[in-house]
Amino acid sequence: MKKLINKPEDYVDEVLEGMALAHPESFVIGGSTGRMLHRPAPVSGKVGVVSGGGFGHIPVFAGYVGEGLLDACAVGDVFASPDMNPMLEAIQFADTGKGVLCVVGNYGGDRMNFDMACEMAEMEDIACARVIVADDVAAAGPEESHKRRAVAGFVLVTKVAGAAAAAGKSLTEVTELAQRAADNLRSIGVALTSCTVPQAGKPTFQIADDEMEIGMGIHGEPGVRRGKLRPVNDICDEMIDLLLADKPMAQGSRVALLINGLGATPAEELYLVFRRAKARVEAEGARIAFHLVGNYATAMEMAGASISVLHLDDALEELLKAPASNPFWKA
Amino acid sequence: MNITTENLQTAIDRIQNRIGPIGDEMNMLDGQLGDGDLGVTLVNGFNNLAEIRDDLPEDLGKALFNAAKAITAVSGSSFGTLMATALMAAGKSVKGETSVALTRLPDLLASAQEAMIARGGASLGDKTMLDVLDSVIAALREAGDDPRNMQQAALSAANKTLDEYRGKPNKVGRARVYSEKSVGLDDPGMMAVKRLIECLAA
Repeated sequence: MKKLINKPEDYVDEVLEGMALAHPESFVIGGSTGRMLHRPAPVSGKVGVVSGGGFGHIPVFAGYVGEGLLDACAVGDVFASPDMNPMLEAIQFADTGKGVLCVVGNYGGDRMNFDMACEMAEMEDIACARVIVADDVAAAGPEESHKRRAVAGFVLVTKVAGAAAAAGKSLTEVTELAQRAADNLRSIGVALTSCTVPQAGKPTFQIADDEMEIGMGIHGEPGVRRGKLRPVNDICDEMIDLLLADKPMAQGSRVALLINGLGATPAEELYLVFRRAKARVEAEGARIAFHLVGNYATAMEMAGASISVLHLDDALEELLKAPASNPFWKA
Repeated sequence: MNITTENLQTAIDRIQNRIGPIGDEMNMLDGQLGDGDLGVTLVNGFNNLAEIRDDLPEDLGKALFNAAKAITAVSGSSFGTLMATALMAAGKSVKGETSVALTRLPDLLASAQEAMIARGGASLGDKTMLDVLDSVIAALREAGDDPRNMQQAALSAANKTLDEYRGKPNKVGRARVYSEKSVGLDDPGMMAVKRLIECLAA
């Protein structure tokens, strides 16, 4: 393991400290365990939007605390769900009387703990709603889409939820819009190298220098096909084909496209992916109305990328384009 | 007789006093089938409950919710999550009450059982703590409202269920992977429930 770290067991807390020191206008460490990032002050008169999940995916999840995005976020250990308590504290922070939406990635621990945190909050008369993001088409077939895990597309749902809340919509409306985004979202990734969890100290999985794995998850979960590394256009075509097979693009439709780096892939290569993906989307007769290219949901130092497509309507497009302010949000 | 926060505190004391050896036993049992952390979960959970015992509110629902929080704060394992789920479900069914008739205990346990099934996804018959709980609930419904009789009835129901399932394979969770190996062994979660019931004897 070659990393710029101190003690592996201090990794998460020290990174959070660094984030709060670097961006005090956006991130404040809170909660009884110091495992919650929140905005400097709660914003009253709007629905609160919170999230939470394992660490090691910066900017997901905690990095998206900010104006027009999340109000607070619970932080777990690397690739491990936070327990219910920081989640409850995030909900309590974000609630100013209009209720709170929890945007949750489809992982067992995240789901169960948010379930409990919401029950707890409801006991305190805070209205709570949940939207589960399950965008990875590699994780399960269309008939079992509820079993899919969340990957980079999570960011687009977070943006939609944050913007809808900032626009003053009700908890029901914010939830409906975020759910609509989640329902119309598809992602697929490709991994070229493994990541190393600091506390594990060695690579999560083995992959040869000349190999790639299509559909690998952001914790190194197995994908759908391992094979020889191919030119980027070919890889991109295989990924886009999988996305189209799952949800075709209609002639004249609009989509948002997110080309996400998993941590160790340079921006140059992400632009190569964008270049090919854009050509493929347009060949389908669809139009890219919004796009992002960069590191939006990483897996430590894993090399590789993912492609997310969000099928748009007017409301979703407007929310994605609404202003947001945060160190990591660059539209 | 009624259930109050004071009774809850007494129960926490009794279990916490004896949780050390129970934890060792559960780690050993769990280690044969899973990752051997069930005992750690129990010990950490009950030690943390002891920490908050004096601050438990009089509202029994809130007290049970606080107990759930204390469990989840120290145990990330699925058993910890399920214990917290059980406490929350029981808490919800007595929200706002400070004294609950002991005859309602089976109903509280039934709501806890239902919530654990919904959250954990196991079914009755899978050889989990749910099966022990099921027979305990049935026995308590017959046992009247004398605490000593109730404890005895619960304990013999737990023993009977452990005997009944010893020769069957585990059907859920990590133990399912070792399904064959689990035949002839007691399920650690089932045994944990039995030990907790034993602790409740005055």
